[in-house]
Amino acid sequence: MVQIYNDYKDHADFLTVYVREAHPTDEWQMKSNVKEDVCYAQPKTLAQRVAIANDFIKRFHYPIAFGIDDINNAANDAYSAWPERFYIIDESGRIAYRGGMGPFNYNPDEVRAWLAARYGAVKHDPPAAPTSAARSTPRPA
Amino acid sequence: MTLFWKWTIAVFLVLLLAVFLVLCKLAGSPRDAYFMVRYALPHMHRGSLKVGDNAPDARLVALDGSRHFHIRERTGARPLVIIFGSYT
Repeated sequence: MVQIYNDYKDHADFLTVYVREAHPTDEWQMKSNVKEDVCYAQPKTLAQRVAIANDFIKRFHYPIAFGIDDINNAANDAYSAWPERFYIIDESGRIAYRGGMGPFNYNPDEVRAWLAARYGAVKHDPPAAPTSAARSTPRPA
Repeated sequence: MTLFWKWTIAVFLVLLLAVFLVLCKLAGSPRDAYFMVRYALPHMHRGSLKVGDNAPDARLVALDGSRHFHIRERTGARPLVIIFGSYT
């Protein structure tokens, strides 16, 4: 998504809205989160949610504008956002794109396609294939 | 118990097992299937918004935890891409 932001930030605005946790430690914790040391309980106060959001920003140097849903989950409820979803609002304030509910129907390529249809596609060179020396180098698990 | 009720209960149990197996497949394991039903399903809502509707407004908090702004303050001049999500 950051790539899409970098490609189209001159044409569209982007806003990340941070909602209630999807896999906190005190609810449905995922093993992958434990492996990656992303272990947070579901925030009970706004301050707790703000702290987790700031941890996220710092860890990933996240560049996109950020807003945090209040602890009453007003934005989440208004947009049926949980656990993750994309929207695009056009200049008239109407919904121009409504993405599917994550994780299975959460599709950044649809957002890119909408922006590309309006502003043109941004192509990227495919990542270089690893050399034979690099292929034999063991990678950490 | 009559044969009818025995068959009814048997069919019900088979359907329940089928649903449970589908949930295990979706979630990844029986443990995850349980947690999905317990914690995720109550919060997953299709919602009624559709393309063409007026975008709802909501008040958000900035990263400093004290300043507030509204989603609709960010709309108008250009399209606004909104990414809803969380760290976990």
